[in-house]
Amino acid sequence: MIYFDNAATTRPDGEALKRAAEFATEVYFNPSAKYGGGFAVFKKIGEMRDSLLKLSGASGRFDLIFTSCGSEADDQAIFSSAKRGNAVTTAGEHAAVFASFTELKNRGVEPRFAPIERDGSVKAESILSLVDEKTSLVSVVHVNNETGAVNDIAAIAKAVKAKNPRTVFMSDGVQAFGKLPFVLPPEVDLYAVSAHKIGGLKGTGALFKRKNLSLAPYIYGGGQENGLRSGTENTFGIAVFAYAAEQKFRTLKEDAERLGKARERLFSGLDRDVFTRISPQNGSPYILTVSAEGMRGEVLQRMLWDRGLCVGTGSACSSKNRFSRVITACGYGERVLDGVLRMSFSPATTEEEIGEAITILNATAKEYQNTVLTARA
Amino acid sequence: MEKVIIIRYAEIHLKGKNRGYFERAFSNNLEKAMKGIRHEIHRTSGRYLIADFDEERTDEIMGRVSKVFGVHSYSVGLLVASDEDSIFGAAKLVAPQSGTFKVETHRGDKHYPLTSMEISARIGGRLLDDANGALKVDVHTPEHTVYIDIREGGRALVFGSFCDGVHGMPVSTAGKGLLLISGGIDSPVAGYMMAKRGMTVELLHFHSYPYTNEAAKEKVVTLAKILSDYTLVTRLTTVSVTHIQEEIHRNCAAELNVTLLRRFMFRIAERIASNVGAGCLVTGESLGQVASQTLEGLTSSNAVVSLPVLRPLIGFDKEDIVEIAKRIGTFETSTLPYEDCCTVFLPDFPAIRPKLSFIEEEEKKLDVEALVDEALSTREIIRF
Repeated sequence: MIYFDNAATTRPDGEALKRAAEFATEVYFNPSAKYGGGFAVFKKIGEMRDSLLKLSGASGRFDLIFTSCGSEADDQAIFSSAKRGNAVTTAGEHAAVFASFTELKNRGVEPRFAPIERDGSVKAESILSLVDEKTSLVSVVHVNNETGAVNDIAAIAKAVKAKNPRTVFMSDGVQAFGKLPFVLPPEVDLYAVSAHKIGGLKGTGALFKRKNLSLAPYIYGGGQENGLRSGTENTFGIAVFAYAAEQKFRTLKEDAERLGKARERLFSGLDRDVFTRISPQNGSPYILTVSAEGMRGEVLQRMLWDRGLCVGTGSACSSKNRFSRVITACGYGERVLDGVLRMSFSPATTEEEIGEAITILNATAKEYQNTVLTARA
Repeated sequence: MEKVIIIRYAEIHLKGKNRGYFERAFSNNLEKAMKGIRHEIHRTSGRYLIADFDEERTDEIMGRVSKVFGVHSYSVGLLVASDEDSIFGAAKLVAPQSGTFKVETHRGDKHYPLTSMEISARIGGRLLDDANGALKVDVHTPEHTVYIDIREGGRALVFGSFCDGVHGMPVSTAGKGLLLISGGIDSPVAGYMMAKRGMTVELLHFHSYPYTNEAAKEKVVTLAKILSDYTLVTRLTTVSVTHIQEEIHRNCAAELNVTLLRRFMFRIAERIASNVGAGCLVTGESLGQVASQTLEGLTSSNAVVSLPVLRPLIGFDKEDIVEIAKRIGTFETSTLPYEDCCTVFLPDFPAIRPKLSFIEEEEKKLDVEALVDEALSTREIIRF
């Protein structure tokens, strides 16, 4: 099976699992416990936190709060920061942000959605034109999870702060962290990430928080994570996260360069009469989204699965609706929307897999055409 | 004193000399429904008693009994010796702490030394004395009623309420049918209705993977499980019609896609029916609901089978069907958003009144027998 759905989730890093195993078998103590074993685990978590901060170039400037997933990190950031006035985001956000912004309306905050471009990115002007003196929060996704478009969040954040210095700026970095070379800039206040997109486990995420920014807890209780995220720490998950991240960051630049080339090779091998490109050239090297116009992405996806290729059809989280909300917002018509396929890679993706995938994709699309599209005139 | 569940049956008493047959079926069904819970079933005249059961699971047992066809009503009660003191002991447990009440007695054993009225009066009087003024008798509109049922063999049942059963006839007493179940609202209701009249309802589902997904199939399995609480049938046959759909799509007039597919489904169903010993097909069709459910549409499907096709919902409005689906617990699952029919093959304008001659002409473009055989080879049986 060629697995090209790494933006949905990745295979957990085997080495990281092995290294972290002791937290599930030997040192399973509660980090809040006051005896030696508990304190040792507490200290270890601190080291892993430092390691993740260091990898992100955020040491000394940011704190990091472990959460149960990227969505929780997003939600905590949003509901803590958008308390009054209005809050601005883009039409290209992941559901974790988009649905929370929709909920803001019920909590007395006006959500504002900036339109996105054809490739899924947002222009700084589109955001800025919605920001005013009453804007309490701006949220811009770092890498669009459906198209791979990369937003220059450093520049957008800077411009937002110039217009309203009191506005909190957050970004969903789930598809960027551990994949794109990036250092958290000072204008970004909050940055949400997830472990299982980079070889960690599902059920582990984190929120980067600029030091001195005040943040409200989302889950109250025993006061873990400096009181910002109560609940016994997922020590095993956190350890796998930290170890997997170490591994990813070690070869981050090389991987990005290599996968960028692989992505282009994949696209150039696809039958141009069938596949239209949606992902931008300068997008994340980890994502190639195309559309087999007039075909049904979901049907193709199952045919491809049966032929040994696993791909996405947009965002796995929103696969229950016929058309992707995000690709619709890019301005495409029904024929393109129907046929959306997302191929997403990992550092484990090989040249052979790219070659095989090209063959499978072209052959499957042809087969689909022959059986479904050539109905009696 | 023993806690029991009292079950009274519905139409079975009408059945003259065949009564034994119906009662045996009913009791078998009760046994099946109670599977996995410790219990014993006793028959007394006109009643069944579930005794010696796991009392912690009383609510679960009541839930199961509420779905057995043939049950008229049921109650949780106490089985005691029929002497006055024993009855009073039980009545004390059943009676309320306060408020108004009456005692109602039914005397199945006509040799009992007291009349029904006398028993009610005596037990009522003692309950009143016992309550020190907290209880009051109201024989017209009491808040609570204590029921006493004097049975043969020196025993009596004492209970405080009746729960309404699902009525109908015991399943397995009215032959076997094969239900064509989709994932929609109607077909599970159609199956329920036939089972209610005593039919054993086997299930057949058509899928068209990869045009439909596994979630859609799983949804049908979930529906089948819900239905099985009533029908007691715990298997589902599935058949793939993918290739048939592709061939129709490729060769035949688009407006007949659905009509032709229905004819294939009926042919396959008839073959499966003969395999499972079913004497009829059952569908959830309702006249005029969709393009394939017009009189012409139904006629065209009927034309390819010799088995009778029963359509219990034929004269129902959608809202009536929905109401039953909600009551029997299939509605929520039926409305989950998984397609059971791929829009890829749906024509823009399906034929509403297809002429049989035109249908047959178009069908000649296909190797019908070979396609039916091929579809049958994809048959799977899912047991749950």
